[in-house]
Amino acid sequence: MTAVSVPIEHVLVLAAALFTIGLVGVLVRRNVIFLLMSLEIMMNACGLAFIAAGARWAEADGQIMYMLILALAAAEVAVGLGLVLQLQRRFDNLDIDAASELAG
Amino acid sequence: MDGLWLIPALPLVGFLILFVTEGRLPNRVVAFIGAGSVGLSALVALFAGLDFLEQGGVPRAEHLWTWMAAGPFEVAVGLYLDGLSLVMVGVITGVGFLIHLYATGYMADEDGYSRFFAYMNLFVFAMLMLVLGDNLLTLFLGWEGVGLCSYLLIGFFHQDSANGYAARKAFVVTRVGDTFMAVGLFLLFRELGTLDIQAAMGAATLAWPDGSTLCTLIALLLLGGAVGKSAQVPLQTWLPDAMAGPTPVSALIHAATMVTAGVYLIARTHDLFLLSPDAQLAVAVVGLATLFIASFTALTQRDIKRILAYSTMSQIGYMFFALGVGAWSAAIFHLMTHAFFKALLFLSAGSVILALHHEQDIFKMGGLWRRLPVPFWCMVIGSAALAALPFTSGFYSKDIILLTSFDHESGGAWFWGLAALAAFMTSLYTARMIFIAFFGEMRTEPHDHSGVNMWLPLVILAALAIGGGWFGLAPVAAVLPDGGVDAAHHEGAIVWVTALIPIAGVLVGYLIFGGKQLSVRALVESKTGQSIARFWDGGWGFDTFYDRLVVRPFLFLARINKSDVVDFLYTGIAAFARRLNIVTVRSQTGQLRWYAANMALGLVLALLLVFLAPGA
Repeated sequence: MTAVSVPIEHVLVLAAALFTIGLVGVLVRRNVIFLLMSLEIMMNACGLAFIAAGARWAEADGQIMYMLILALAAAEVAVGLGLVLQLQRRFDNLDIDAASELAG
Repeated sequence: MDGLWLIPALPLVGFLILFVTEGRLPNRVVAFIGAGSVGLSALVALFAGLDFLEQGGVPRAEHLWTWMAAGPFEVAVGLYLDGLSLVMVGVITGVGFLIHLYATGYMADEDGYSRFFAYMNLFVFAMLMLVLGDNLLTLFLGWEGVGLCSYLLIGFFHQDSANGYAARKAFVVTRVGDTFMAVGLFLLFRELGTLDIQAAMGAATLAWPDGSTLCTLIALLLLGGAVGKSAQVPLQTWLPDAMAGPTPVSALIHAATMVTAGVYLIARTHDLFLLSPDAQLAVAVVGLATLFIASFTALTQRDIKRILAYSTMSQIGYMFFALGVGAWSAAIFHLMTHAFFKALLFLSAGSVILALHHEQDIFKMGGLWRRLPVPFWCMVIGSAALAALPFTSGFYSKDIILLTSFDHESGGAWFWGLAALAAFMTSLYTARMIFIAFFGEMRTEPHDHSGVNMWLPLVILAALAIGGGWFGLAPVAAVLPDGGVDAAHHEGAIVWVTALIPIAGVLVGYLIFGGKQLSVRALVESKTGQSIARFWDGGWGFDTFYDRLVVRPFLFLARINKSDVVDFLYTGIAAFARRLNIVTVRSQTGQLRWYAANMALGLVLALLLVFLAPGA
């Protein structure tokens, strides 16, 4: 099979870039909705790295891991959106910094 | 007869009943149990004694059980009855029962009636274990037991903190002696491998030559224990303060029995002292010094119980002196007669004190002889025996001691002279006490309401104080090395002088304090006279000395070390953790984004470590 394949370095750089964008989003955004979206981007970055690695070494593990991440992301969104609703109800806004009652 | 164990067991049962019921029993029942258990014990002791004499005085041992066994170290709990322990048991249960009987009346109006008799019964049990134990460890158990009971009973009226102080003082001071004794017992066990008294004494005689250093050391350590318990110089300071306890306690513990335990200990281990003439001489010197100091101090006291306390000290000094000069049997003989007449003196003094509503100052008494006839006559009889007037019990025992001391090879005449001077002082202070307290004008109105349970013991003890010395002391002859009380080999002037000294003392006492023919006012009121009186009154400065030497430095150290030096380590750890907490709590902001940033930072650092580490 001589299909043109994308070099793995390129894919990994893309994954790292996505991950960093997501992380920065988590750190700088205060709106919970954006926080969840940034988390989603980070997870997809991880998924992409797994897929690329799986293709590079022709192993099924990478794809299995991606399935796992998909399931995890779905569950996370379900829980996350529930939390968002609770935040809105308790604090009347979606600012994550308002929920800092565990301060020491 | 095998019932030897009943003698200590009965008071123990009495104690346990009173202890378990915690004072819920009515006073009548308490008195019945408290005095009855000791009375029964006295009866058993009487039968055991008759049995013992019938068998011709063969020592009897009764093995009860093995206390502990660890390799070669095996301690059996056993009882051993010979002439010496028989005399002690007789005194403890007999005189003890009379004092218990008296106490049922004396303590009737006090709180803690049941507690009092519980302690008293426990004391009798411990004292009996002390004299009956066939093992030095059993003896030591009884020794510490009586110390504990002494502490509890001195501080019986614990509402007054001064009594608690007196109790602690007695406990701590005797503990000094007990430590010496414990070290002595350790040494004895290390050298001889046994603590069984008979076996150890036999082994000691075989193992050590005459005058061996080791034996002297052990004997001196045991003497240290005896000195503490028997209130001899230099550990005598606790006894006068111990008078804070109820008067029957002073009679039983601090006159008749516990304080003579030291005499018993030395008589019991006399083989060690025979092997070491130096240690025996030390016993004599200690006794003589105490005898001397205490009899002068008694002359200046005002409190009737303190006078009796100092006289107890000096009489026990006589016993030590007798042991030291080799009059072994005479020491035990004097122990017995002293138990009779000193218990009598304390109990009569107790009756007087009770009739005067707890007035103890003899200068506030006076003229009581017509109003309190029974205590008065008992006091006179007891005093006569204490002063050793002829034909009283004290005369026989003290006479032998003085005459035997005259024969001592090193300095017999000196010994005799000093002891005789102290005997003169004894009769002088006794006469002072009687004439000031019972004659002259009446200063306090007495109210006597003592029942038969109070005067009956007085009368019996009075009979014993007179007649207790007429028959000598045969049973101890087989146990002690001098073969019984016998001083008949003396003749001539020395016998007469020794016998007449007490009479002279009483006569001088009468002239000064009774008829006032002889005035000592000029002497007493002079400057030197007053400072001497102060010196004597303070017990020759021993209390001040110990205060400066021990108490104040200790308090000083306690003050500068108020926050304990050892605690620094632990308080330091706690303070460090608290400091750290203040720092780290700042990182707990509660902000999710801050935590996430930290996690990311930590991850980056961890990755850097992995990649940059050597060999990566």
